[in-house]
Amino acid sequence: MIYSILREDMLTKVYENLIVQTVCRIMIPFIQIYALYVIAHGHYSPGGGFQGGVILTASLALIFLAFGQGAVIRRINRRFAIILCALGVFIYAGIGLLCLLLGGNFLDYAQLAPILGVTIPRARSLGILGVEVGVGLAVMAAMYSIILDIAGSPATDNDQESIPVPKDRTAPVEPVA
Amino acid sequence: MNTFFLYVDIFLGFLVLCCLYRVVMGPTTIDRMIAVSAIGTKTLILLILIGFIFGRVEMFVDICTVYALLNFLGTLAATKFFEERGKC
Repeated sequence: MIYSILREDMLTKVYENLIVQTVCRIMIPFIQIYALYVIAHGHYSPGGGFQGGVILTASLALIFLAFGQGAVIRRINRRFAIILCALGVFIYAGIGLLCLLLGGNFLDYAQLAPILGVTIPRARSLGILGVEVGVGLAVMAAMYSIILDIAGSPATDNDQESIPVPKDRTAPVEPVA
Repeated sequence: MNTFFLYVDIFLGFLVLCCLYRVVMGPTTIDRMIAVSAIGTKTLILLILIGFIFGRVEMFVDICTVYALLNFLGTLAATKFFEERGKC
């Protein structure tokens, strides 16, 4: 009987684990710096915008797993995630259309050289970097909102509040045999 | 030295097969989770050794870092899922 009471209390409580939380708190900044490295270094080594965005999302998912949904929504709420997603697509398409307006093909970075005031190879490198930043932002925000949609609780109109425990989790469960 | 790394890779592949048996036939879910985690760790070493064979270790170390991160994340998500469900 005591065992079942303990079990119920464990289930209604918000997930708290000192080891997991401490490890996540230590690891998350390094994961994010590594994601920025993958984004910025994408044209010399494996990686690029998509992979860097996924690693950024992985750091957000770690916050989600260790500190709960309220902690991660307090940092980036759903509306801001959608805005970031649109901003990433805008950066990508904007650079491409800028090249189009300057007389080249879509994403023809060599046309950016007069605007940036650099040589053509450097303009290509900078153009690729800008496009990858846009892709990384879009992928990060889109995957983050997918994670919130499939793993979070649905009723989160007031994003600033911490999310209450869902009703079905407070129901008494039978103890494990 | 490349031959040595190749044979170590083959041996690690055999060990991955042993862990795969535990994943498929495991009696409980915890067994399967630990076996998947062990497969992830072996895959990391396997990738680094393949990087030595190809002579591009710095490239494969990047991949391995992401692989280790995703392995850790997957195990954490599975444990959290089973803790919330309350039984395995």
